[in-house]
Amino acid sequence: MTGYAIVLASGSLERLQAVSNIASIAAASDVPVDVFATMDGLEAFDRDRIEAMNFEMGPVAQAMIENEEMDMALFVENFERAKELGPISVFACELSMDALGKDLDQYADVVDDVLGVSGFLSRAEDKQPMFV
Amino acid sequence: MSETDIQADEVVDARGATCPGPLMDLIGKVKQADDGTVFELQTSDSSSKNDVPEWIEKSGNELLATVEHDDYWSLYVKKT
Repeated sequence: MTGYAIVLASGSLERLQAVSNIASIAAASDVPVDVFATMDGLEAFDRDRIEAMNFEMGPVAQAMIENEEMDMALFVENFERAKELGPISVFACELSMDALGKDLDQYADVVDDVLGVSGFLSRAEDKQPMFV
Repeated sequence: MSETDIQADEVVDARGATCPGPLMDLIGKVKQADDGTVFELQTSDSSSKNDVPEWIEKSGNELLATVEHDDYWSLYVKKT
């Protein structure tokens, strides 16, 4: 096993943060990570959503954001930082993008490219899969 | 411990940041440093304070000491 292939299918901020934390430390530790953002998980990377902080939030994300003593970096920032440190790529699921009639530049810079199921599975072959 | 004689070559001030910030800051610095460099990682995040030693051990570096201050911890890490 040489790395993690994470399917990020949820738009819940808790899950986005958790995935970004784990993926970022793994990549920073030189463990290769591919993140496949699909369904609501892709939507969370939409530039307008990020700017408006328009995410599904439960009590934990709410608490983290409101806690003045905790300066929580948003998942997008974690991914950006991780890229400076190690082997991590973030891919947008082409089907999800097409369903909303969008293209790649409507999503945060941190999204590298578009991918489909086969593309993802090829990249995931030598990695441990995670479905979030 | 509440004090130490250890002299850090570089201070990494990650106070206020939460997981994974402090550890990412430390990893970034350690990667660029020469062997033998001693860092003082300052963190106010207790989850980081507890988790960073795990990374230090796994990555083959050395935790020299953890010092508790009023509202943050100092972790002295040597790159080996």
